[in-house]
Amino acid sequence: MTTSVMVDSITKRFGDTTAVNNANFEIAKGEFFTLLGSSGCGKTTLLRMIAGFMKQTSGHVRFGDRIIDDVPPHQRNTGMVFQNYAIFPHLSVFDNVAYGLRARRRSADDIDREVRRMLDLVRLGHLAHRRPRELSGGQQQRVVLARAMVIQPDVLLMDEPLSNLDTEMRVHLRSEIRALQKQVGITTIYVTHDQEEALLMSDRIAVMSAGHVEQIDTPHRIYAEPQTLFVASFIGENNILPGTVAGTDGGDGFLIELPGGGRIAGAGLENRSMGSPCQVSVRPQDIGIVPAEGAPLQGTLADIQFLGSTIKLLVDIGGEKPLLVSLQGRRGMEMPVIGARYGIDIPAKAVRLFGQGGAA
Amino acid sequence: MTALRSAPTAFGRLFSFWPLVTFGALVVTTLLLLLPVYNIVGLSFSGKGTGKSILDNYAMFFSEPYYYRSLINSFIVSISATVLALIIGVPAAYYVSRYNIWARSLIKTVVVLTFVSPPFIGSYSWVVLLGRSGILTKFFAEYGISLPSIYGAPGIIFVFTLQYFPFVFLLVSSGLKSIDQSVEDAARNLGSGELGTFFKVIAPLLLPSITTGALLVFIASFTDLGTPIILGEKFRVLPVLIYGEFVNDFGGEPVLASTLAVLLLCVTTAALLLQRWLSSRFSYATAAIRSLTLQEQPLGKRIAASAYVYLLMAIAVLPLVNIVVSSFLKSNGPVLTAVFTLDNYRRIAATISTPLWNTIFYTTSATLLCAVVGTMIAYIIVRRPGRVSALLDTIVMFSYAVPGIVLGVGLVVTYHHPPVALTGTALILIMAYFIRRLPFSVRSSVSSLQLLSRDTEEASVNLGAGPAATFIKVTVPLLSMAILSGVLLTWSNTIRELSATLILQSGSTATVSVEIFNEVVNGNFGVASALGSVLILLTFMPLIVLFTFMGKNEEALV
Repeated sequence: MTTSVMVDSITKRFGDTTAVNNANFEIAKGEFFTLLGSSGCGKTTLLRMIAGFMKQTSGHVRFGDRIIDDVPPHQRNTGMVFQNYAIFPHLSVFDNVAYGLRARRRSADDIDREVRRMLDLVRLGHLAHRRPRELSGGQQQRVVLARAMVIQPDVLLMDEPLSNLDTEMRVHLRSEIRALQKQVGITTIYVTHDQEEALLMSDRIAVMSAGHVEQIDTPHRIYAEPQTLFVASFIGENNILPGTVAGTDGGDGFLIELPGGGRIAGAGLENRSMGSPCQVSVRPQDIGIVPAEGAPLQGTLADIQFLGSTIKLLVDIGGEKPLLVSLQGRRGMEMPVIGARYGIDIPAKAVRLFGQGGAA
Repeated sequence: MTALRSAPTAFGRLFSFWPLVTFGALVVTTLLLLLPVYNIVGLSFSGKGTGKSILDNYAMFFSEPYYYRSLINSFIVSISATVLALIIGVPAAYYVSRYNIWARSLIKTVVVLTFVSPPFIGSYSWVVLLGRSGILTKFFAEYGISLPSIYGAPGIIFVFTLQYFPFVFLLVSSGLKSIDQSVEDAARNLGSGELGTFFKVIAPLLLPSITTGALLVFIASFTDLGTPIILGEKFRVLPVLIYGEFVNDFGGEPVLASTLAVLLLCVTTAALLLQRWLSSRFSYATAAIRSLTLQEQPLGKRIAASAYVYLLMAIAVLPLVNIVVSSFLKSNGPVLTAVFTLDNYRRIAATISTPLWNTIFYTTSATLLCAVVGTMIAYIIVRRPGRVSALLDTIVMFSYAVPGIVLGVGLVVTYHHPPVALTGTALILIMAYFIRRLPFSVRSSVSSLQLLSRDTEEASVNLGAGPAATFIKVTVPLLSMAILSGVLLTWSNTIRELSATLILQSGSTATVSVEIFNEVVNGNFGVASALGSVLILLTFMPLIVLFTFMGKNEEALV
């Protein structure tokens, strides 16, 4: 039976370095949960502690209500999918998938039935007697997926399973994995550095940085409502600009002065004293271009990057970095002119403000 | 349904598979290596009478010329052989690797043949050729030319040089392969000539290979027993003295033999530590994307280089050819005649079965033990790093430093008395062979394991197979080719062991190499040649399999 997983105040130190710093979260039964971060952020270390290949310095791992800290990895009943496949090169596809069932001393009939069912599920039934070296990378990864799922693990653990595949196979397999996971309903912990993968596949995402869990949320909220400056800059394209509090609108809102002197409205900052510094985050696609006359924020168009469906504008507003604006390319639209002045429309809703520490 | 079982306690985990294996490996290496060494060290510090200092034995060694001379002699022959091996070996390796001389693969075969052939067979073959009534001696004497004597220091140095220069040759050849062609191109482009490039760029990059080769030649020469016994006459080196004292003391406590053995051990240990330090000091960790290429040479240079290499190889392989040829010749004691006969083989046919069976039985047992224990120890060292595993690593590598004759004396001292009186049994020989070759097995498994991704084993554990099951079902099959080639190499190396065997055998446990040695000492050259040919054949067979079917090349030997 699949189970919920709880990571309870887990810290892992290697000598002086802290690889994982007090990670805390609970994963619901049947949830697809992703650990997202760049390399060295501690996501794989965390996964390996859940699998039992490493022991945490402090804290507990729970499966359901059971603490499993002292259960050796071969008794944890997790199914793991590795980045380099870790297929057994000396065994046939069938024997690879049967490996876990044999370790559990299941009867030959059981094994035969279960392995065939699982191979059909990943559409490899016709290759049961092939050797791994005769398979493509995508096929090998499907064998490994079948091998991990056939034992009906309590939790499915995936460590960057798609990063060694070419783009086409990756796009194809990620929807296949997600469909399979939904169909079987198994709790899954998925480690990746690819944010597109994370946003597309996950029920919830934990964004990690330098051993620290920055934010745990649904993909949409991670993207639209980043809670820290790191998440805002890590997920998706973003403009991060230094600003200064220039006034309030009486209510929750602020007036922020940007470098170059332009002012925009925003909300949600704790330190409301005049003149205090802050960081402003605005998504490029939330910014509009309007005629310059009368606009409170203006800039000079410095460059245009034409990418077909989108058009990126680099607008100089007098700060160190130009402002990135992303427009949807439509038929008949008028191309902006390099060197001309434009007004910049930033709706207050699109602005997120962070204090100097990085937190909202 | 859940596969979770109750969690074992910390105490319970001590009794799980790998901790038990680690403990077992520590016990075995302690009993077979550390305890014997500890015992001879203890014996060497035991003053015999009352009021005598514990340093008495050493004091006597360094005051009696008969004793300390042997140490000086050992240094003389070993250092000379090392220097000569470098002088002939480095250019030979360079020419064979870089110049388009003819029949390069044949030359490599000859190097392998000389390298793996038993050293004492080589020396006795030189006696047949260049001894007082040797074939070449007499041939040249008819023309009034007297050849230099093969006996004494010059003969020993000559034979050691020819026997051990392949260490230098093989290491330098593989060192050359790890240098990228672009390095040489850059030096030439900046204006260096061939010789300048070699000394300023290539040779410095080869230093780790050269120093390793030199120290291997030194240690092999310093610890060899057979050659100096056969050729030394009045010129005695340390191992000969150890053997002599050991035979004299037989039955009593081999105090003096132990003292000498400790001195020998000090030299080899220092040499190995020096080698480790040198190779880490000069290692540049280069990896060649495109190795140094073969260069087309002008005809003159090509002929000169070929002539040099061919002459060297001809001299090196001559003793082997001589053994095989003379085994078919009628002999009259030490004098061979030019009459073809199978008499020698008829004579050994009656007596060879016991020693042959002994040889094969001991070698095979030790080889299998090495494969099993060596792979497990390698696994502990690579996959379970920690203090205990580092200790095990150090102990195993220490057995590199323990020469066969030292180990032999140590094992006798340790296992001579009841309740564990093992001297003269098959078991003690198997133990000696096993511990001598163990570091080689461990080293070769360690390097294959390091190339093997951990993920595959973790996948197995993750799927529910325990540590022992994972090792047997996944690790061993994935290492099988490496283990098999290790087995063939161990077999080929163990079968020609002489120094430890001479100390540990008891007539009924004699091996083919001991039989050859006895026949040589008794002057029955014809019989010795026939036995020698059999031993050479046994040594080569596994190597032929290794090179032909397993895609290994001669560099696997060092």
